[in-house]
Amino acid sequence: MQQNIIPSHAGTLESSDLFVRILPKKEGGVSIELESSVCEIYADAIKKTVLECANAFGADGMSIIVQDKGALDYVIKARVQTALLRAFGMNELDWSVL
Amino acid sequence: MITFSLVPSTSTLRLAKIKEFLALFELECSEDVESFVVAKEDAKIIACGGIAGKVLKDIAIDGLYQGKHLALKLMSELLHVAYEAGRQELFLFTKPCYVEVFEDCGFKYITQAAKTIALMENHQNLEPYCKSLRALRVKGNKIGSLVVNCNPFTLGHLHLVKSACATCDWVHLFVVKEDASYFPYVTRLALIREGLEGIKNLTIHEGSDYIISKATFPTYFIKDKRKIDSLFTELDLNLFRNHLAPQLGITHRFVGEEPLCVVTHEYNQQMKKCLAQVGVMPSIEVVEIKRIYHANEPISASRVRKAMQDGDIELISHLVPSSTLYAIQNILKKQEK
Repeated sequence: MQQNIIPSHAGTLESSDLFVRILPKKEGGVSIELESSVCEIYADAIKKTVLECANAFGADGMSIIVQDKGALDYVIKARVQTALLRAFGMNELDWSVL
Repeated sequence: MITFSLVPSTSTLRLAKIKEFLALFELECSEDVESFVVAKEDAKIIACGGIAGKVLKDIAIDGLYQGKHLALKLMSELLHVAYEAGRQELFLFTKPCYVEVFEDCGFKYITQAAKTIALMENHQNLEPYCKSLRALRVKGNKIGSLVVNCNPFTLGHLHLVKSACATCDWVHLFVVKEDASYFPYVTRLALIREGLEGIKNLTIHEGSDYIISKATFPTYFIKDKRKIDSLFTELDLNLFRNHLAPQLGITHRFVGEEPLCVVTHEYNQQMKKCLAQVGVMPSIEVVEIKRIYHANEPISASRVRKAMQDGDIELISHLVPSSTLYAIQNILKKQEK
């Protein structure tokens, strides 16, 4: 499916939060760039959470750039979902996806 | 309570307060800043940061609040404003001692000038750009380079490029991309291509953010000629020497001798010093080419623009090649209508 992705962002750079950016990219698939203050221990877990959110939306052809400041799992999920909603220009929430 | 607000640089009263605040940090409010994000507590400014196009600068935080995560709050707000304005690929100026703070915000260090100013970016375009240059490398002992604005392309530019090509195995010409000149980039590039057709040992490179752009050299585009910032000159030259030139194996850089324009003259003098320094990367020799003259005055793009204002087509025809003359005649015709 050809998706029109709007560059978008969500979150802050403050402690226990994260700043998520979504940019369209020409190649298909979803790429994740992660920088985190807890990278050594949780990089894989954070990437997994981000990718799960993206897959739930059926995302394709985007790069997700994450600046994590040690956010907890549900914070990561909420921020990524918000960024995704903005990227797709969705105003109505589909709770079954979330 | 700390509150954030957005102050456009057109709001004179509020800007004056910001200028006062910046002066505490020996920062001069840049002329090209469009708006400031300002953090206040009890109606007193405690932090601010400016946005000029895709460049974040004039970022300062009150000493009492440093180390209290205010930097991250301020940057969250600044990035929000920049991204909302559709500026995804950002540059940032800071003092080298604060590089780490901005690395925490997703910026990467590019280069610096002295201990005073560092340039950073929030994307990774420099590496791919260097890689694209590497693919255009041509073998030779003497590889020349030129960076030109050509506003517009004159017989002087033609002479400069021909002189460079005559003494080098290969020459790389970079065109300043920033659209801050009378002639738009597309026109300048087209006239350069037309004017230099037929020269075999020459590559014409489209400009980039990394060569004399508002990111590397903002003062180049500020019209007030007295404000030459040697720091930005150094920044631009460091970037050229340490990142771009090695990709192409550049050994020489050619410049036109500059009797008229102060900015360019200073730039040339500093270039000699900067590029010739012995360092990690091989040094580059700067060659100044003498200007050619018409009617006892050097041929220059500014002289052509002046003649355009005067409508002196006769004079222009002695200063520019036929392709540029044709373009100028078209512009003047349109203006008459």
